[in-house]
Amino acid sequence: MDVEAMDARATTGASEGVGLHVQVRVPLDAIDLDVDWRPERHRVAILGPSGSGKSTLLRALAGLEPHAVGRVSFGGEVWLDSDSGISKPAWERNVGWVPQDALLFPHLSLRENLAYAGAGSADVESMAESLFLTDLLDRRPRFLSGGERQRVALGRALLSNPQLLLLDEPFSALDRPLRSEIAAMVRAFAQKNGTPIVLVSHDEHDAQLVAEERWVLVRGRLTADGASA
Amino acid sequence: MAQPLSAATVRETAPSVHVALGTGQTPEEPTAGLVVLAASSLQDVLPAVARAWNASGGVPVRFGFDATSRLAPQILRGAPADVFISADDEWIRWLEERGGVDGASIRPVATNQLVFVVPNGSSDPPRDARSIGDAGFARIALAGENVPAGRYARAALESAGVWTTLVPTVIRGGSVRGTLEWVARAEADGGVVYRTDALTESRVSLAFAFEGEGFPAPAYTGAVTSRTEQPETAEAFLAFMSGTEAATLLAASGFGPAGPPATQRSTPLSDSSLARASSVSVNPWSAVRLSLIVALSAVLLGLVPAVATGWILARRDFFGKSFVSMIVMTPLVVPPVVTGFLLLSVLGRESALGGVLSAMGLPIPFTLLGATLAALVVGFPLYVMAIRAVFDTVDRRFEEVSWTLGVPKARTFRRISLPLALPGIAAGAVLAFARSLGEFGATVVLAGNMEGETRTIALAVYSLLESPTGRGATWLLVIASVILSLAALLGFEGLSRWQRRRMEDHHGR
Repeated sequence: MDVEAMDARATTGASEGVGLHVQVRVPLDAIDLDVDWRPERHRVAILGPSGSGKSTLLRALAGLEPHAVGRVSFGGEVWLDSDSGISKPAWERNVGWVPQDALLFPHLSLRENLAYAGAGSADVESMAESLFLTDLLDRRPRFLSGGERQRVALGRALLSNPQLLLLDEPFSALDRPLRSEIAAMVRAFAQKNGTPIVLVSHDEHDAQLVAEERWVLVRGRLTADGASA
Repeated sequence: MAQPLSAATVRETAPSVHVALGTGQTPEEPTAGLVVLAASSLQDVLPAVARAWNASGGVPVRFGFDATSRLAPQILRGAPADVFISADDEWIRWLEERGGVDGASIRPVATNQLVFVVPNGSSDPPRDARSIGDAGFARIALAGENVPAGRYARAALESAGVWTTLVPTVIRGGSVRGTLEWVARAEADGGVVYRTDALTESRVSLAFAFEGEGFPAPAYTGAVTSRTEQPETAEAFLAFMSGTEAATLLAASGFGPAGPPATQRSTPLSDSSLARASSVSVNPWSAVRLSLIVALSAVLLGLVPAVATGWILARRDFFGKSFVSMIVMTPLVVPPVVTGFLLLSVLGRESALGGVLSAMGLPIPFTLLGATLAALVVGFPLYVMAIRAVFDTVDRRFEEVSWTLGVPKARTFRRISLPLALPGIAAGAVLAFARSLGEFGATVVLAGNMEGETRTIALAVYSLLESPTGRGATWLLVIASVILSLAALLGFEGLSRWQRRRMEDHHGR
């Protein structure tokens, strides 16, 4: 973990100027998200109790919250600027969003789910292998366990070659040993491709497995967490 | 009897009236044969007359039978008829005033007689009109108020001085056949119908025939329509109808000769004439075929609009959404007959839109297209409701995932939303199909009841109920429609289960 974290820091340094800048407000019924956020590191975790707005923040970053106002830029590219009426649609942001409940397309087989964004069959096969899904490729999502679904959702996002990974409780249905293994695989992917990660979770352990930097979201407000790695 | 006019005379007396009165109707290619719209009570005898006419070299004739009171307005609205035979004089005059028929062509073709019938086995039936009031009947069946038979009946009863006494007991059937059916099933204690209809119904007994001068005798009047393209042929057919050959056929069915009738006498009607054969112009297979064509075309024609409307109602919020939703659902709550009337008002040949469509060669009223449209409009709410419901249940986050994977909205709709909604769309189509099969009210108003053109199963059964000889065909159609409807329902059940299973993929883990 330590070695990998140091590696990651080195990578982060290189892409410092093109990081994520978020200054966004999402007025909703349940929570009123209001964050001004510039993560320093490459892989960050946002912790917080459920209902604090973690998922909403990810959705806003993915371009799925039509009510979001403010400014979001990533890698020097403006995604949202409500003052000048800019809002890049979700399909142009190239993020890998892994929603909490996987949301596999129920009418497609695992293979088709993984290849949805256009990945070739060789890539699909190797991704399935690294996620221990090879034997299941031709099944439909309804025959999978929760943990298997989460892995497919992760693989589907990674295979879209995202420039930013947005992971919403991505390991919640995995048992501990598998959790570490999959987390390591995700870290490796991020390092290899220089892909930043924003992971939200209510689980400290998940955060430790992936992130270099930790934040806490409480009732729509984001603060730095002293326990940062 | 009026002397038969030769076709040559006709040509001189009524030269090309249709040109003078012709509206903006499209010149259609000359159709082979005549279309004759005639009063229901002629349903059994006219085909025989037409056969005789064919045998003597006449062009083929197609018939549309319905109550005179329904046919006359249809003719005014542009029903593609060449000849109209009314069960009374008034509707013909009504049409003449409005330019629907050529006044010069009006001529009497036959007469009928009103009789009072009671269910078989009734004890002590009344012997004349005056004694009906003393019979203590709870219900007396008459034809509808605007149906000639119903008007004649009222006039006869008024003339006998018993109308006011009987009013509380009167029930009105639509047509004479419907009225007769009520008496035959003893739903009514007695009824006033035409002699010709009474003769064909073995389940009723004749109590007496109405006689006297105080009321008009039922008389059939024919006329050539103003929009016919073949006035000479139409005139010739009318002339044939009032000729001796036709008179023999009419008399065999119990009709009286044309012309001002002699004083009606209370002739004892012999039961032996019940044995006469008669034909019905309902072809059950054509009805089944038409029903399937209409229902399938309605479903196909409605597919894209229904999916679009269902999706918009499920997924979009916009000003006036509830209004749109209400308009779409209206045909579900408005009586289909009203829907048909509204469609006729909007799409009839006299309306702006209908005129344009007609000019484009797509006339709506009294065509197969009209029947399809009527079925579609009436089935559309069910179609949309099923599709809206399925789009409501498809988690829109599937679409969001697809967007984040770089697939824009239109392609996401095609790859995700549409396949996920497919079972619901199919279920909606099945519902609309089933509803189309059962459609009657809007169809009969917008598209009429034309054998081989718009007479679907429902209309055919309705027509057969007005015919004394259609029992076999009726049962055939009843069985066919029950089978088709059950098949549709089974399909719907299967599709619903498919949809639930699909959704379980996601929700039921």
